[in-house]
Amino acid sequence: MKPSEIEILRKQHRERILPATPMILVGMGTCGIGNGAGAVYHHFEKQLSENNIDCKLKRTGCFGFCAEEPMVMLYQPGRPMLVYSKVDERDVKRIMDNLQKNKLYKNKLLCRIDEWDFLTSEVEFGKGYEDIPHWDEVPFFKGQKKVVLRHAGLIDPEDILDYIAVGGYNALVKAIMGYKPAEVVDQVMASKLRGRGGAGFPTGVKWSIMQKQDARQKYIICNADEGDPGAYMNRNEIESDPHMLLEGMMIGAYAMGASEGIAYVRAEYPLAVKRLRTAIEQAEQLGLLGENILGTGFSFKMDIVEGAGAFVCGEETALIASIEGKAGRPLPRPPYPASKGLYGKPTNINNVETWCNVPVIIEKGAEWFTTMGTERSPGTKVFSLVGKVKNTGLVELPLGSKLEQFVFNIGEGTGTSKRVKAVQTGGPSGGCIPLEFFSTPVDYESLAGIGAIMGSGGMVVMDQDNCMVDVARYFLEFNAGESCGKCTPCREGTAQALAILTRITQGQGTFADLAVLELLSGVIKDSSLCALGQTAPNPILTTLKYFRHEYEEHIREKRCHAGTCESLFMALCENSCPLHMNIPGYIELIKEDRVEEAFELTLRDNPLPGTIGRICHFHCQMRCRREMLDQPVSQGEIHRYLADTMYQLGKENEIYNKLVKERLPATGKRIAIVGAGPAGLTAAFYLVRLGHDITVYEALSEAGGVARFGIPNYRLPKDVLRKEVRLIKKLGVKFRFNRRLGDNLSLAELKNEFDTIYLAIGAWKDIDLKIPGEDAKGVFAGTKILEEIALGKIPKVGERVVIVGGGNVAIDTARSLLRLGKDVTIVYRRGKGDMPANAVEISESEEEMINYRFLASPSGIITGKSGRVKALRVEKMSPGSIDSSGRKKPVPTGVFEEIPCDTVVLAVGERVDSGCLAENNMELTRDGRIVIDPFTFQTSDPQIYAGGDAVSGPSTAAEAMGMAKKAAAAMDRALTGENRFYLLSRPFNYRDVVPANPKPASKNVPRRLSVKDRVNNFNEISFGFTGEQARNEVERCLRCDVKH
Amino acid sequence: MGMETQTNAPVSGEILDEIIEKHREKPGMLLTTLEEAQEKNPLKYLPGETLSEISKKLKVPYAQVYSVATFYSFFNLKPQGKHSIVVCRGTACHTKGSKALLDDIGKILGIKHTGDDAESSYTTPDNLFTIRTVSCFGQCAQSPVVAIDNVIYSNMNSRKLLKILSNYTLSL
Repeated sequence: MKPSEIEILRKQHRERILPATPMILVGMGTCGIGNGAGAVYHHFEKQLSENNIDCKLKRTGCFGFCAEEPMVMLYQPGRPMLVYSKVDERDVKRIMDNLQKNKLYKNKLLCRIDEWDFLTSEVEFGKGYEDIPHWDEVPFFKGQKKVVLRHAGLIDPEDILDYIAVGGYNALVKAIMGYKPAEVVDQVMASKLRGRGGAGFPTGVKWSIMQKQDARQKYIICNADEGDPGAYMNRNEIESDPHMLLEGMMIGAYAMGASEGIAYVRAEYPLAVKRLRTAIEQAEQLGLLGENILGTGFSFKMDIVEGAGAFVCGEETALIASIEGKAGRPLPRPPYPASKGLYGKPTNINNVETWCNVPVIIEKGAEWFTTMGTERSPGTKVFSLVGKVKNTGLVELPLGSKLEQFVFNIGEGTGTSKRVKAVQTGGPSGGCIPLEFFSTPVDYESLAGIGAIMGSGGMVVMDQDNCMVDVARYFLEFNAGESCGKCTPCREGTAQALAILTRITQGQGTFADLAVLELLSGVIKDSSLCALGQTAPNPILTTLKYFRHEYEEHIREKRCHAGTCESLFMALCENSCPLHMNIPGYIELIKEDRVEEAFELTLRDNPLPGTIGRICHFHCQMRCRREMLDQPVSQGEIHRYLADTMYQLGKENEIYNKLVKERLPATGKRIAIVGAGPAGLTAAFYLVRLGHDITVYEALSEAGGVARFGIPNYRLPKDVLRKEVRLIKKLGVKFRFNRRLGDNLSLAELKNEFDTIYLAIGAWKDIDLKIPGEDAKGVFAGTKILEEIALGKIPKVGERVVIVGGGNVAIDTARSLLRLGKDVTIVYRRGKGDMPANAVEISESEEEMINYRFLASPSGIITGKSGRVKALRVEKMSPGSIDSSGRKKPVPTGVFEEIPCDTVVLAVGERVDSGCLAENNMELTRDGRIVIDPFTFQTSDPQIYAGGDAVSGPSTAAEAMGMAKKAAAAMDRALTGENRFYLLSRPFNYRDVVPANPKPASKNVPRRLSVKDRVNNFNEISFGFTGEQARNEVERCLRCDVKH
Repeated sequence: MGMETQTNAPVSGEILDEIIEKHREKPGMLLTTLEEAQEKNPLKYLPGETLSEISKKLKVPYAQVYSVATFYSFFNLKPQGKHSIVVCRGTACHTKGSKALLDDIGKILGIKHTGDDAESSYTTPDNLFTIRTVSCFGQCAQSPVVAIDNVIYSNMNSRKLLKILSNYTLSL
């Protein structure tokens, strides 16, 4: 083949890229095929042959948006390329039908491509379809710079003519016809390309050393042993564009004087091996591989060696040993492969992606290459963005792009209601980076600066349900298993570290273990022979640095909050419940028709079962395994049923008397609890049973806190709460109402009179909006309105009310005022999906015809002549990109509107009223919350403990109660020196039967009042379960707490 | 070469010769030879006889052949089951719950899953299934991933798994 012939071939076969007829391109990478692309291709074949349509069909590689596979592109001469995603059989038929009728099939359309820069050539498809987003406007693709992935998904990887048609092998010609070998090396040097396998060694320097070696036989090797779990960039690069790799290696061979090249591909990539083999054959056929290439006297041949499942063979000396027919055990360096490599000859090994950058550098020049990326790390890098992220796939960005761009802009966050917690980068050699560091740029040095590494480019996103101790253990397990065993620090060190981590995940860890882990990690890092050992401790070190509290929870509390380490919890529901109620227990007891015992078990875990069963956020349901079958079990509704039934039958008194009798002997210790909300009541319930003398001080006139004065009657009837508070009184707790800390109650006097104090004062201070007009007549705080209504008064509001906010206070206020006959509108600055309020609250309020104005941010209150509210001025917002809370940031549009009204109610959040505490020098956070030790619950004053909203900020009643329950145990331990909390429970014996063949059965739904029956009164809306419903619902529980 | 029983079925000498000659003097010859020899064995494993034949024909010390066969996780020294189930235990799959899937498979097929090895490989007593793990298939965007008889299933969960496996266990 002569160089000019390639140019001829290119022109001749241009029509493969821009044919005169329509063409269908089906993405057939491993991900695509794994998602049904093979069947899609087959359907197209059938359609085309059966209907005799004049349209070409082409197999391509992967365009990178793996979450949207199978992807199909529709080419029409003169028009933009159309990209369809998640294509199925039906879509195939419709696409073809519409094509024949010259219509546009709009379903499943992802984007359009007007023109494409292949870097070695440019292509213009056409203009049109302007209402379809251009590919680089789609969040996943926005900002991506396709250099290595320039052909992926657009050409047929199994046909060299496609590659030549877009300008492929032009760089090879340029290099071997136009440059001397040393000049090629200079170009690569000038580009400052760094190894893309992870170590980032300057490629030009490596090549230069090889080039200077004077030897008859030299080898070059492509390291395609991509073993990092979670990384598959190299796989795609080979599957979608094998000729790009070959061209890079050919140029390299020429530059360094190598006559033989080997691609070491891991065996887990059969399609990549197949396509590379085909590519080699085709290149040989055209004379681009073999003897006397392009008539220049340069000879080069390629072989493929498949790996056999050893991660360590990604290390260059181990890889060489593997090819030589030995076990893959690394050797000390020096000597480096460049002087003594494969079979003792000079060898240059580079990662797949490094080779793939070479043709582009030769074609466009080193200077062009340096315009992308950073000063020290020019160019782009392909990353695999996977895990708990909405848009998974392969992302190519310039080096130096920030982590947040990957996770929130391209990935669009988790895509679920869960929050992003960390990103794991660099595979098993890498580290876990917490949310706070997401503004770190991604390149070789910046990530190393925070203890992680970029590695080969794997990025696994983790959310709140991932346990970081488990992640560390998982990677240690991997590294220990893959260790070649040659050097003691790695072989023994990783095994020991794994043993320690395993014990910690089983609840047998100690704080001494953490010290040993750190020490051990240092030793393994410093003394291992190769990078596997040297980087194996990184997952441990980063998780210890950034997530130490999770280790401490596993050791101290023996709990895994994420619900992963199975030895540390009974069931996912029980683990997620802030009170850790024994949910499987009471469910089983109901199954066995032992309702009173079920109630007793519930009560021991939760002093307000009827109340919580009505108002809880139901953390239990968020992890219920039943959801995989149909819907989560209604655990909370069940314990509400238990409470209601017992109260109706008057049977609760027997249980109460039992608890009273069980009270432990008086300890002589006196405890003051400030606040009779859920947290205060819970602390009182447990502490009094432990034998302490308890007095509860409450600022308002009745107990209950937010449950009594914040939540309207239609959600929680006062009687239910009052009954449950009566139990606490019955146990001997003394209440002092109308005593407010800072007014007629001081910390000093409490410290004097009592041994210990528990502060549970909640968060009742309304946050101001800080907009003009906030002090006008007719502006109220939502919490104050709810308090008035709870006291039986009618708040003096106007007739047209606008409520600002999107949480439960906003909705509770809105629905309450609606019931008083007011015209109510809720104004919220984000979209409906982003409202923090309970989903049930939102849907019921919509049924009640409450008006909503979303994406409207209040900017000012307009008053009339009398100084009274006349209207609320809002700025329309548009949803922007995802922020760190996982929601779309509202972006001001500059368009304003006035909503006429005579009352404005502010419900945009609450703060802790901590004025009285600051005087006592108590340590507070910047926004006024009380700082406590997470395990002892003590404040900066060891005599004073705290919990509930006063510590966490506005949260849920269940979370407040959970904190209080743990604090009670901690206080008792501090006062008596013993662990006595277990004395408050008693064993309940029930069967451990797992349902054999669970059949789908949707959850039971309690009857509710119809809208017309409820909208003008405060009667309770939900009737709760009937007996039959409750018995049916418990049967749905899969008893995943039963362990073999 | 007489009538060999199922549990001891080495690859015939002729086939082995073919494989060896195909790869002789090529880089990675031992690795590739072992891979193909295992593939050609109906029970997808490398019996001692095969290793010893390869050692003789390639003139590589048996200890080295054995070292390679035991070092790389791809090589099976025990007969494999009729159906292979491979659960990916890569990071993305692990993050999305592949350990629970592995446990579920164990429960469905009645295997006692003891210990927490990442490279465990269990064959059911009736030789019907071999369950093993792989550290990464490279299909991370659609985790969790399970391959059954080399067909890759993505976005797996317990429900889908139950369905697919019930087809196999029914056809007993």
